[in-house]
Amino acid sequence: MNNSQTRRQFFASGKNLLGGAALASLLGESFATASEAKASGPHFPPKAKRIIYLHMVGGPSQMDLFDYKPVMQQWYDKELPESVRMGQRLTTMTSGQARFPVAPSKFKFSQAGQCGLWMNAELLPYLEKKADEICWMRSLHTEAINHEPAITAMQTGNQITGRPCLGSWASYGLGSMNENLPTFVVLVATPTNREQEQAISARLWSAGYLPGEHAGVSFRSKGDPILYINNPPGVPDAIRKRSIEGLNKLNEINYEALGDPETHTRIQQYELAFRMQASVPELTDLSSESEHTFELYGDEAKKPGTFANTALMARRLVERGVRFVQVYHNNWDHHSNVGGRMPSQCKDVDQPCYALLEDLKQRGMLDDTLIIWGGEFGRTIYTQGNLSKENYGRDHHPRCFSMWMAGGGAKGGAIYGETDDFSYNIVRDPLHIRDFHATVLHLLGFDHERFTYKYQGLDQRLTGVLPARVVDELLA
Amino acid sequence: MTSRFQHFVRRDRSCFLYAAAVCAASSMLAGFGAQVRAEPPLEYNRDIRPILAENCFACHGADSVARKADLRLDRREVAIEFEAITPGKPDASELIVRINEDDPDLVMPPPDTKKKLTAEQKETLKQWIAAGAEYQAHWSFIVPRRPEPPAVIDEAWVKNAIDRLVLARLEANGLSPTPEADARTLFRRLHLDITGLPPAPEDVAAFVSDYSQRQDDALSDWIDRLMESTAWGEHRARYWLDAARYGDTHGMHFDNYREMWPYRDWVIRAFNANQPFDQFTVEQIAGDLLSNPTLDQLIATGFQRCNMTTNEGGTIDEENLANYAVDRVQTFGWVYLGLTTNCGQCHDHKFDPFTTKDFYSLAAFFRNTTQPAKDGNVKDGRSTVLQVPVEADRPRWNALPGQIAAATANRDKRKENARGEFEQWLASANIESLDEALPVEGLVVHVPLNEGTGNETANACNSSEPFKATGEVTWTSDGKLGPAPVMKLGGTFDLGMLGDFEKDQSFSYGAWIKAGSDGINGGIIARMDENGDYRGWDLWQQGRFVAAHIIDSWPENALKVVTSNAVLKPGQWQHVFATYDGSGKPDGIKIYVDGKEEPLKVENNTLKPDASIRTGTSLRIGQRSHTQVFEGGAIQDVRVYRRAIDAAQVKSIADIVPLRSILATAPEQRTPERQAALYDHYLVTRDAEYPVLLKAVVDLEAEREAIRARSPITHIQEERKDSPPMAHVLMRGEYDRPGEQVDAATPAAMHPMPDGAPKNRLGLAQWLVDPANPLTARVTVNRFWNEVFGQGIVTTPEDFGVMGAAPTHPELLDWLAVEFRESGWDVKRLFKLVLMSATYRQAAITTPEKLERDRSNALLSRGPRFRMDAEMVRDGVLAASGLLSPKMYGAGTRPYQPEGIWDIVGLPGGDTRNYVQDKGENLYRRTVYTFWKRMAPPPALEAFNAPSREVCTVRRERTNTPLQALVSLNDPQFFEAARQLAQNALNASGGDAAKTIDYVAQHVLGRPMNEREQGILLADREAFLAYYQSKPDDAKALIAVGDSQADEKLDVSELAAWTMICNQVINLDEALNK
Repeated sequence: MNNSQTRRQFFASGKNLLGGAALASLLGESFATASEAKASGPHFPPKAKRIIYLHMVGGPSQMDLFDYKPVMQQWYDKELPESVRMGQRLTTMTSGQARFPVAPSKFKFSQAGQCGLWMNAELLPYLEKKADEICWMRSLHTEAINHEPAITAMQTGNQITGRPCLGSWASYGLGSMNENLPTFVVLVATPTNREQEQAISARLWSAGYLPGEHAGVSFRSKGDPILYINNPPGVPDAIRKRSIEGLNKLNEINYEALGDPETHTRIQQYELAFRMQASVPELTDLSSESEHTFELYGDEAKKPGTFANTALMARRLVERGVRFVQVYHNNWDHHSNVGGRMPSQCKDVDQPCYALLEDLKQRGMLDDTLIIWGGEFGRTIYTQGNLSKENYGRDHHPRCFSMWMAGGGAKGGAIYGETDDFSYNIVRDPLHIRDFHATVLHLLGFDHERFTYKYQGLDQRLTGVLPARVVDELLA
Repeated sequence: MTSRFQHFVRRDRSCFLYAAAVCAASSMLAGFGAQVRAEPPLEYNRDIRPILAENCFACHGADSVARKADLRLDRREVAIEFEAITPGKPDASELIVRINEDDPDLVMPPPDTKKKLTAEQKETLKQWIAAGAEYQAHWSFIVPRRPEPPAVIDEAWVKNAIDRLVLARLEANGLSPTPEADARTLFRRLHLDITGLPPAPEDVAAFVSDYSQRQDDALSDWIDRLMESTAWGEHRARYWLDAARYGDTHGMHFDNYREMWPYRDWVIRAFNANQPFDQFTVEQIAGDLLSNPTLDQLIATGFQRCNMTTNEGGTIDEENLANYAVDRVQTFGWVYLGLTTNCGQCHDHKFDPFTTKDFYSLAAFFRNTTQPAKDGNVKDGRSTVLQVPVEADRPRWNALPGQIAAATANRDKRKENARGEFEQWLASANIESLDEALPVEGLVVHVPLNEGTGNETANACNSSEPFKATGEVTWTSDGKLGPAPVMKLGGTFDLGMLGDFEKDQSFSYGAWIKAGSDGINGGIIARMDENGDYRGWDLWQQGRFVAAHIIDSWPENALKVVTSNAVLKPGQWQHVFATYDGSGKPDGIKIYVDGKEEPLKVENNTLKPDASIRTGTSLRIGQRSHTQVFEGGAIQDVRVYRRAIDAAQVKSIADIVPLRSILATAPEQRTPERQAALYDHYLVTRDAEYPVLLKAVVDLEAEREAIRARSPITHIQEERKDSPPMAHVLMRGEYDRPGEQVDAATPAAMHPMPDGAPKNRLGLAQWLVDPANPLTARVTVNRFWNEVFGQGIVTTPEDFGVMGAAPTHPELLDWLAVEFRESGWDVKRLFKLVLMSATYRQAAITTPEKLERDRSNALLSRGPRFRMDAEMVRDGVLAASGLLSPKMYGAGTRPYQPEGIWDIVGLPGGDTRNYVQDKGENLYRRTVYTFWKRMAPPPALEAFNAPSREVCTVRRERTNTPLQALVSLNDPQFFEAARQLAQNALNASGGDAAKTIDYVAQHVLGRPMNEREQGILLADREAFLAYYQSKPDDAKALIAVGDSQADEKLDVSELAAWTMICNQVINLDEALNK
């Protein structure tokens, strides 16, 4: 995009008050904190220039999706051996249960692609087609055992709130790639079934101790996509343009009197606000999308707020230069009725995930766009509540869970990590969420140990103080 | 080279990674450092510690876990013992040798730390050791002393000691102050700093004139006057509420409503009363531990109850409690000590003399609380709360205990004196005379149901035909009044067309019943048509609950109330009675069990004003119209009244059966309880005086209960009485790895607790405000300074430790701290000193020279100018437009907010999932009263860097993003204010354009527009007017924004055009800046 031309077109009548550097400072940072608001840039050339992170809120059941445990069929209703459980702490939702009977997955698994991953192709037929383009991780683990701290840990590297999330770090490290839209956008999809949702708080996309402009901007599916983006009724763009021009002329007079450089920042702030106003309606108007697109994503993509619609919107955002799109899809917290709930959850996401990968590939963007899919922890092999062959519940399980990545330098067809027969303990290649964060930062071009921000006298970082490693096996 | 130092130093890669990540140090304020460093003699705090902290302390500092080779360079004696430093002999000091080493395996700091000393730094260290290597305590741990104000060249500029300390610094840097701001600008600044609101134009004019004549005297008077306004407390409070992390929700998971706004109001009142800051502190930390604490002192402890809490299923209590304590210690550290105590949660502080043990010793003060681990998702958090009657209720609330005591005494006295008359009555009393006490007025049905045989029963109050049963009746011998019928389908009673009531008539009904089993839902007494949308009324067994229905059609036009408690006891006789007052409201129904009114919950409340409950089906005992039977239950003594009888009458009906049996017993065989029951019956039903005296007590207690029910609650801190404060050190901060047990204690490296101070929060509070405390006063004045100048003298108000920013004006900070303390912690006085200073009065003009030499205004070479906080931005436009409501206090308000802000984070069933916007005045209240949902704070405020109030915030960020411009341009509350301002301006100016602009500018900016500005606005107004005249529909839509009505007398296009002009003016950089 040609910055200067856009500016000239827009403010043809005004004199050019600002250079490109000043504009950059507004997009990425505030003037007052200019010296500390931006990192020095990536440490090495990034594989992934952008990220679309699909967070499945509630903790999907790994052994019902990607962590195939055929032996469990023989363990139906048998007690989980103490040698497996090893006294691990449980949530207080099941710690009072008298028994911990094993609940084998009711779903049919089959091997997918060349990589041969055993997966639940019954519920994920689309994703199965992409098995060889996806980097499968079956040995994630975390310390957190309840949603709120676990989602926080997954997003910010720490269970305690107040740290910046991955998206904020990406914004801080790499800055903006466009001049009309935020760097970091959050989309919250509405699941078809909403009976067991978990709270998703704006604190998850807060910038923590990073400067506030690195916070995620939540685009909404109801009402204005960006808060206050629309002019009040009766104010057309031409009138708004005129009013901002007048406003800026007045501000310029004030600048002449006081000489405060912040006044110029203010002028840019209003220009950029106007450009956002102009570009967002185009962004959210799907009428320019071809029939092919809707065939790919499915008709659900036309309904605002569905996961399919959100996935399509995520593609449109990264296409327009948004650096990081965080998507939340809720209702994966299956304490009971795994059999009943899993189909609609999978149906919500299966085709759209496939479509997103395919769509980006067709547009030549998959190579430098990283897609991440996963929840905040896994679930237990033993049932919570009643057990039958067809139905069972599962409690939270932090000791192992599955996620996947694709594009952006992730290794397609890789299957990393292995759990025991009970999908309870990791037996090969444990992947702590810190390692995962370190690896994602690596794909973004950062050495996680040197990617820091000074706060409270310390060089803070996403991966915290405990050891973390970049996992080479996940890299293409 | 066989020193222990060399021997123990090993490079260990994994340890290094850990250490480097947590403690890599910041560069110091380069400009100032460079200025002073050249001046001998070297000082440890100023010249040496920054070098050591940056490069060495991570591995050779306070943290015992990260420490390498046991060497500490932050302690002189250890450094000397290890021969790292030999005072006076740099060449014999291992430290000097190692920093000059070429061998990468030996050089310090190690190459993989990426740290490197400059030649200048090396030389500085060398000189310092040569001069004796004297250490100093970190500056902030030394008790401040009032410095001698320095001499300055420009004596005439100085207004008070602040100026002397600022000017000396400016002169040393070759800068001179900026001339005073013009009087209008000064007054606007002053007004904003004191009240948080822009000045009224009349006040600006009055000040300008007064100030030109009386100068400092005028300024002093105006400051006093403005500080008297209640807006002062509202403005000061909001900074404190950030620090106290005040919010209106619990903060986690459901994030439901948590009521504690009386604490918010207390903070406002405390600032308005100019409560000395030491008292303000003691009451918030330990108000509950003062002797005979007042209501206000208890409310104040809410400071400690503002922390986020959870009720998430599955969370572990011990972990939650540990987290709550951590939050309190962190808040305490940031607010009072300016220390990042939270570092101590997992490890000894890397830089400051604050250990893990210190952390948990502080936590011990706060853990000895009755607060539970889970908040229950309810507004009282299932914890210690206080009922706080609103102002209007306070006189009665305070008077009631005395009046109740007096009325009770009168009642009891009569009870003493009536005994003789009772004995007389008792001598002649019999069963028939007992019945005389029963209410007969309005009695339409009285069916004893004690025949014992047959399939008929009689209505005792009506001698007409007996009622037939619906079939064969089964009788049981263990009735309450002889044999009783047992209900079954085909074995109930049909009373025909009795009880034909309408929903606006009052009536009462009930009976003795014995429920069959607890799994039954069935009609006890009913005139209700199951096949006609359940029209009618009934008394209903619902498992172990009793319900009453008043129905037109179920469920869309019906009332239903159910007892809150499981009151039915199957197999036991109980007296159950319902009364209905004909109001059509759920609170018009009462249900009594054994003569006692039961609390009810409303299960259906949809009865419409034009509803009818009359039905053609019969009144039945034991069932509704067709199938819903009181299966297996027995019923006797059914009564229906054509009016709502009162509680005493219900009680007399319930009492009559047991009284009969008491009376039937010989007097000498009656137990004292049974005799007392007879006496009570006599007093209530026969005595002339007693009922009146009893009613007086009941009425007063009801009044107290009514006040209690409508009073807000507030969370307070309460010490556990059964245990002394203690805590366990938690290994690496993990709740399930408890280590050593520690007592409550203040940090070991700081001054001791005052003599005689108790080892609890009260002692801790006394320690905070003790003159020996080096931090409290400094940290507090620094925050106040930050409020006025936009940055503190220490720019990290939360961190006065080694790694925090050094003070830009250390002597000024100390002078202010001592002044504050010695003045009796007088907040208004301190602010006045600052506001009277020449430093404050400077114009905010930035010249290229000052931009070059004092870019961030750290040296105070010009007046403060910065974008105002969210609250001031919003309150400012409301004030300028005349919309601002002066109403103070009360529950959180819900002004304009885009749809969908709350529900996106809300959970099903959560009570803050749906945002219901206020109407009228509450839309225009000051922002300090806005409801603060912590998971989704008010978005227009959040855009302007307002914090979520989840954790303590002592310094807000100040960024400028396009999202802010979108708020102040497009948010309905800003746009409505613009229209309101426009119409006020048009009405005041009679339509004259220049005068209209002047009105707007005076109200928003406190000054007139100059000619160029006017020209721009007039031209824009022409353009806007032309557009809106051509598009009147747009004009109409535009001026319709907001809840308030546009002035219909004004021309629509004209008003629309001026609204756009006002929208511009309130968006000016000048309007958004202080």
